[in-house]
Amino acid sequence: MAEEKSVRIPPDLASAVEEHLDALGADSLQELVVTVLTDHLRRLGHLSAYTEEEEAEVERRLRDLGYVD
Amino acid sequence: MSRLAIIGLDCADPVLLAELLPELPTLRRLVDEGSFSRLRSVDPPITIPAWMSMMTGKDPGELGVYGFRNRKDHTYDGLGIASSASFREEPIWETLGRQGHRSILLGIPGTFPPRPIAGSLVSGFLAPSTEATYTFPASLASDIKDWVGEYDLDVRGFRTDDKAWLVDQVRSMTRKRFTVARRLLERAPWDLFAMVEIGPDRIHHGLWAHHDASHRKHDPASPFTGALTDYYRLLDDEIANLLELLPSSTRVLIVSDHGVQPMEGGIGINEWLVAEGHLTLKGTIPEGSRMQDLIREGRVDWSRTIAWGEGGYYGRLFLNLAGREPRGTVPLRDVEEVKSELASKLESIRDENGRPIGTRVLRPERVYARVNGIPPDLIVYFGDLRWRSIGTVGWDRIHFHENDTGPDDANHAPFGIYISSPADETAEDRSILEIRDVVLDHFGTGGRNG
Repeated sequence: MAEEKSVRIPPDLASAVEEHLDALGADSLQELVVTVLTDHLRRLGHLSAYTEEEEAEVERRLRDLGYVD
Repeated sequence: MSRLAIIGLDCADPVLLAELLPELPTLRRLVDEGSFSRLRSVDPPITIPAWMSMMTGKDPGELGVYGFRNRKDHTYDGLGIASSASFREEPIWETLGRQGHRSILLGIPGTFPPRPIAGSLVSGFLAPSTEATYTFPASLASDIKDWVGEYDLDVRGFRTDDKAWLVDQVRSMTRKRFTVARRLLERAPWDLFAMVEIGPDRIHHGLWAHHDASHRKHDPASPFTGALTDYYRLLDDEIANLLELLPSSTRVLIVSDHGVQPMEGGIGINEWLVAEGHLTLKGTIPEGSRMQDLIREGRVDWSRTIAWGEGGYYGRLFLNLAGREPRGTVPLRDVEEVKSELASKLESIRDENGRPIGTRVLRPERVYARVNGIPPDLIVYFGDLRWRSIGTVGWDRIHFHENDTGPDDANHAPFGIYISSPADETAEDRSILEIRDVVLDHFGTGGRNG
């Protein structure tokens, strides 16, 4: 298991995010940073939305549902 | 500024709803106090992309998403399942979030994996399971578990002859979804609430023949002739409970992504291509073989193939185009002629008794404002969607009256429902692409779709 990495966020930015966490829908600065980075990489195509196993499972369900064959 | 609540009922049909309204006091009241019209879906009228077309105001061509599974590249087997990352256009809640409005989203197809939003989000049924991170914030998943126990993203194994089990599963799923909806509404401030209940679609596909006396499989002695109506009564009750939590000034929209119609049968799109000499397979093909498996196994002779197809509620046909596909055979100069010939032949397919079935063939470049991503070269509505597209091969026939993936009574129809309370500004049919502007106008944020 790889170790988690720490990043340094300017205190003013961190404070601003924490002040608005509720409106941003996130529980913590950590969650927001991870979600935003993950989303950014997915939209650039550098990270898959599904793992291979998840995609196989969803495809199987879509076949069962009749959407694909 | 009053709030706005969108309650999406997947596959809810305007003709069916008009028939059932006398049994549904809550929906009837909304219609009486407001307005009820048809909502024209996109082409194809399928859950993905239709809901995200509604939420973005963009057609499938603009979205570059033509169905649940799309070509990722021009290889023969490069397919990917649509996810939230597939949709680059801004959905309503992101526009509203930038204006300082908070949203609650529940069950909208196309929202997995959850993207960060101003508010909270529970993904739709394309989440692989509740073990995956299917909510934003992630901690919401444990709240949902506390509220309803195991949350049902969808009905597993709904293609079954055990209709009693199916009815029970769909009703249970719907109750849980509305319980979660109520808890979400009570949990935090919000401006836009938008949910999609997938249950109507599952009930229609599983039980349409039991409900519809004109369906060729209808049995008036079936114990399930009233099951669909009973399910709508449950929905009506759940909607009533939900509405009680909304401030009286809330604008309520009840919408659907498409309607429903009886399914007559299926047409084997690849079997037809083989029979017409447009697709060549190698060796003896076992009954029910999937094209994707044959492609991966090298069982397609691409040098003697001009097109192949995919199945589903509608057909997708791809040309084996020289210079585009790895072993393409159709020269660019012949594309229009080949498309026209295939479209003409497809539209002339008859049923096994020689009767016309009214197939329509659409060309993406003619039906969409723009064509992004990799669309099918032809979109095929067999029997104007009264017949599904069967993609599997090895059957040695093209007509089917049972689905290759299990019992299914219904297919999709192009018009869904649009109820607005208070009444909409127009009594005319609306397009699904207009809903985004209806919502933005409500919040006075402008941003006309353009």
